Amino acid sequence: MAASLSERDWQLREHIYQFLVEHTRPPTIGETAVVFAMTEDEARSAYQRLHDAHTLFLEPGTTEVRMANPLSAAVTPYRVTVNGRTLFANCAWDSLGIPAMLGADASIESVYTGADGSDTPSQYAIVNGTLGGDDGIVHFPLPFRRWYNDLVHT
Amino acid sequence: MLLFRSEEEVDRWCASTGEPRGETLPLQQVWELSKLWYGNRMDPDFRGRSVEQVVDGFNQAGLASEFWRP
Repeated sequence: MAASLSERDWQLREHIYQFLVEHTRPPTIGETAVVFAMTEDEARSAYQRLHDAHTLFLEPGTTEVRMANPLSAAVTPYRVTVNGRTLFANCAWDSLGIPAMLGADASIESVYTGADGSDTPSQYAIVNGTLGGDDGIVHFPLPFRRWYNDLVHT
Repeated sequence: MLLFRSEEEVDRWCASTGEPRGETLPLQQVWELSKLWYGNRMDPDFRGRSVEQVVDGFNQAGLASEFWRP
């Protein structure tokens, strides 16, 4: 799964994740360039390498971070309150991925998708590492081998 | 991946949207999978995963069908 990335690329990735959790938004290219004492062009190239290696995903045609799984830079119907912050998950699975990644309790506002495509609210939580609240099933439409063909869709 | 109340609703949603019908997991199993999949994602020494590690994680979560194979 891991493509060829330098140690600095991995450090930059870690910084993006930490920044996103702390500030509830990803760092801009300019902010990252300052932290790593690099030019903005160098930061853009690093972002692109991280995207190409599937370690994060950029908004198509840009160098803006769209997803650092399980985190979403965009507002979604999957709102996760953890450690006093509200973060957004990419999907129902990722709504549980955030407390799993942070090793923290979380309160999750999610949605049930109806047969007609309408959403109705759902709430569940992780308390002391245990899942509670509303029940349900998560649909994985594509087999694993196809997940990276179109991550936004998946 | 979307959350549904029932398999029937998944079937009807797939039929109405034309989306592929894949596999479903109970939310509890998704929580177990999340811990395996995302638990080390912010570790400073995280360097991605090998195909073997992915398969091992799926197996630990009880996901052994062809659907979960790379």
